[in-house]
Amino acid sequence: MTIPQRLMPWLMIALAALILAGAYSGREIEGPMDWEALGEIPVSASGRIKPLDTYARNTLMVISGRQTLVENGERVPAIRWYADVLARPDVAAKQDIFRIDHPDLVALLGFKTAQEGGKKRFSFDELSPNFEEISKQADLAFQVDAKNRDPFQRQALTLYNRVSLYLQTARVEAPYTVPPLKDGEEWRPMFVMTMSSQTLDNPAVRGWNDIFRAYAQDDAAGFNKAVQDYRGLIEPGLGSSMKKARSEVFFNEFKPFYQSMLLYVLAFLLAGAGFMLASLAKREWSKSLWNATMCVLLIAFAVHTGGLIFRIVLQGRPPVTNLYSSAVFIGWACVLIGIILEKIHRIGLAGMASAIIGFTTLIVAHNLANTGDTMEMMQAVLDSNFWLATHVVVVTIGYSATFLAGFLAIAFILLGVLTPLLRDDRGKALSRMIYGVICFGAVASFVGTVLGGIWADQSWGRFWGWDPKENGAVLIVLMNLLILHARWGGMIRERGVAVLAVCGNIVTSWSWFGTNMLGVGLHSYGFIDSAIFYMLLFVSSQLVVMAIGLTPWKHWRSFNPKVKAKREPQPRVQQQPA
Amino acid sequence: MNGLRRILKPIASLKITVVLFALSMFLILAGTLAQTEQGIWTVVDEYFRSLFVRVPLRLFAPQSKVHIPGAIFFPGGLTLGTLILINLLAAHIVRFKITWKRMGIILTHLGVILLLVGEFVTGAFAREGNMTIVEGGSSNYIEDTREAELALIDGSDSKDDLVVVVPESYLREPGRVISHNLLPFKVLVEAWMPNSQILGPMQSTPQQRSRANTGFGTQIAAVETPTATGVNGATVDVPSAYVTLLGDDGAIGSFLVSVFIDDPQTVVVGDKAYSIFLRFKRTYRPYELRLIDFKHDKFVGTDRPRNFSSDVRLIDPEMHVDRNVHIWMNHPLRHRGETFYQSSFLQGDTGTVLQVVRNPGWLLPYISCSVVTIGMLWHFGIKLGGFLRRQSR
Repeated sequence: MTIPQRLMPWLMIALAALILAGAYSGREIEGPMDWEALGEIPVSASGRIKPLDTYARNTLMVISGRQTLVENGERVPAIRWYADVLARPDVAAKQDIFRIDHPDLVALLGFKTAQEGGKKRFSFDELSPNFEEISKQADLAFQVDAKNRDPFQRQALTLYNRVSLYLQTARVEAPYTVPPLKDGEEWRPMFVMTMSSQTLDNPAVRGWNDIFRAYAQDDAAGFNKAVQDYRGLIEPGLGSSMKKARSEVFFNEFKPFYQSMLLYVLAFLLAGAGFMLASLAKREWSKSLWNATMCVLLIAFAVHTGGLIFRIVLQGRPPVTNLYSSAVFIGWACVLIGIILEKIHRIGLAGMASAIIGFTTLIVAHNLANTGDTMEMMQAVLDSNFWLATHVVVVTIGYSATFLAGFLAIAFILLGVLTPLLRDDRGKALSRMIYGVICFGAVASFVGTVLGGIWADQSWGRFWGWDPKENGAVLIVLMNLLILHARWGGMIRERGVAVLAVCGNIVTSWSWFGTNMLGVGLHSYGFIDSAIFYMLLFVSSQLVVMAIGLTPWKHWRSFNPKVKAKREPQPRVQQQPA
Repeated sequence: MNGLRRILKPIASLKITVVLFALSMFLILAGTLAQTEQGIWTVVDEYFRSLFVRVPLRLFAPQSKVHIPGAIFFPGGLTLGTLILINLLAAHIVRFKITWKRMGIILTHLGVILLLVGEFVTGAFAREGNMTIVEGGSSNYIEDTREAELALIDGSDSKDDLVVVVPESYLREPGRVISHNLLPFKVLVEAWMPNSQILGPMQSTPQQRSRANTGFGTQIAAVETPTATGVNGATVDVPSAYVTLLGDDGAIGSFLVSVFIDDPQTVVVGDKAYSIFLRFKRTYRPYELRLIDFKHDKFVGTDRPRNFSSDVRLIDPEMHVDRNVHIWMNHPLRHRGETFYQSSFLQGDTGTVLQVVRNPGWLLPYISCSVVTIGMLWHFGIKLGGFLRRQSR
């Protein structure tokens, strides 16, 4: 190996480290006021104790679709926005935060739509003359059965809910900010306290008010002192909550999933480049890039794992508790399997496929996060760490394996039909990987589904109830079993397995997302609406790939002996002088 | 033996297996989509426990946008399950050979057979119902919320009530006249609503209230609502009906009866008073449960339930049982082949709703899934081992 070839992996490690370091040093908070200290103060919202920073981010996310506010090109962190809402209501009321997507609703409220060059987000002051209209439209929408609401009605309700959330926040109805200082006390909302005479007696209420009064007066020193005093006041009773809150703020700022998303892109590019070079017979370079790919992939995976562990510890729950965390976990499991496959076959394709799944699922997760707190509390019936840890995890691994097999199959079909790159043993190796992952997927999805049945039997005495989610899981099992039996029976071979594995992608996306869309309206925030569109797009793209895969074997460029005879010698001739 | 094999061989074909899998996938997809317009139990009966099912094609397109008319007949779950079973058994008879290598496959398939049999047993024998108990009260019967019945009670005997029960299947036919020799009157079914909503005196029109001329129906009215569908989570339909009681010399009165109405309505015929009410189908038990306390915790500042639990006293004189039991999420009570699960609660936390299940086949899935898991791990373990050995060479 030449020196640049040796250095390549190190260079990439350095690049990855740079990306990660940039993430942490480029924190959003500047200025003389200690915003981080304020953000770490624990409050109670949606049933869980969390740092104020998380509440501010989630609230801003729900209202505006973003975790930070961009004002005149300047990024305002969520916690400062929160302080504005409380202490400088005039300033906050002018910030463009209420996102409205539906052009008809924008027009109805008398604004220019996006097509006419208008904006997407509107301020409280701009909306306030229209409150009557908004609540009228929301009321009309509310009378329609959730399932039958049209996009306009859903948007009207969403906007109404966003305004209510803003008002609740401004009036300090949510979160509950008054902590239990004595035994027997519970978390309470400030709002109730100000209604009663207890207000001035409670040191936490006084301390809280001092913080925001100082901010209103732009008194940085007073602000920092008030925050420290407040923290000192609650520290004795809430020490463990504060420790957790500090970790959560670190997690919020570091955004491990976002960082690993970036690294997956890098890994994908490296793996792709390495794979191309291998087929150009640049062995040494390809090896160097393969090493670099693995380094970056492992770093990305480590960060991804770190994020998962952080969530597990913060929440005290197994990794998958809702749709958001299932997306994070599916990506994680795919990358894990991909790394193992890459260790066995070393052709870069498993790395490529898993990096792209890791990236995509984290994008999906990012979009799912706009419904608010991703670490929400569990419904009572789901509150069982044992079954969450077994059934949910195993069945999600089954989803992951089926997706990975499907993505490997896409590579097999596209590269096999359109390029000669899968010649030599690489086509065979890829095909073997697909088969192996399907076997694994069949076992995991079957065991996971059955464990779900046992959980159901334990919880309500019904092993199998044929409900949409259960049916979705069993479809994946059947899909995998169908592929395996068809292959064992000699009905299909490499090509057939690949085409059906791509079909597995459709089935899995249906089980994972589609079944949630059947009851649209129940949790209809913006994303699920557009998710239907993206899912249809995904399904159509898979159908196209399947159609390409149906090309007769002799026309596959990678496997056509004639093409091989014609083209194979060329690189070898070039190779000889070297 | 050879003759048998020759017959079985085509039946044992893997091609049939693959086709059956594909058909099952379609059936399951259709059965899932059907739950957007039908209740889950209707779907289970029509799609998964039937020989044949008529699948309307409109299910496969978003109905607000496109409407595809027509329907196809498709083999139901019972047919496909049986065929898979036959195919599987035939395959094992034809290729029967016990070796270490095949052991995994044999175990896996044995488990699958058990799983299918388990679902047959459940479909045929399992019974589910609810027991609702108010705090401080007790109950000795189980309600089947999938079926209603009209109860006509002669309470004149001080010791025992004389109850005549009309099953739902009779009530589903408007115009039907029901008579029984214990009743001095006949019951004419005027209208039957599988799922309904009650409109109060202010919400209903006089015309709606004119369907009844006696009892509660003169103040409130019932209107039909669409039956619950599988996907929206609501699984219970609340039926109502209008009935007219016919005496020997003409109509005695028209009543609104509804599962919504808890209080019986009384009608005096001759010298006897009869209570009449529509209720979920009841089956009585030789034991009773008393609800001592119902607890319901929520997460601070939310309506999200954190936990709910019931403290009950189980009294069964026949079995000499009298003890206190704590029932909560994932921790049911098992008694006399029946299992009581914490399922729901009454508004205002005034009482508990327990789901009661009797399923003689409940153990089969447990056995079968252990067997399948061992079989799969065995089979794929051997394959993986072989693969890794080849790889390392």
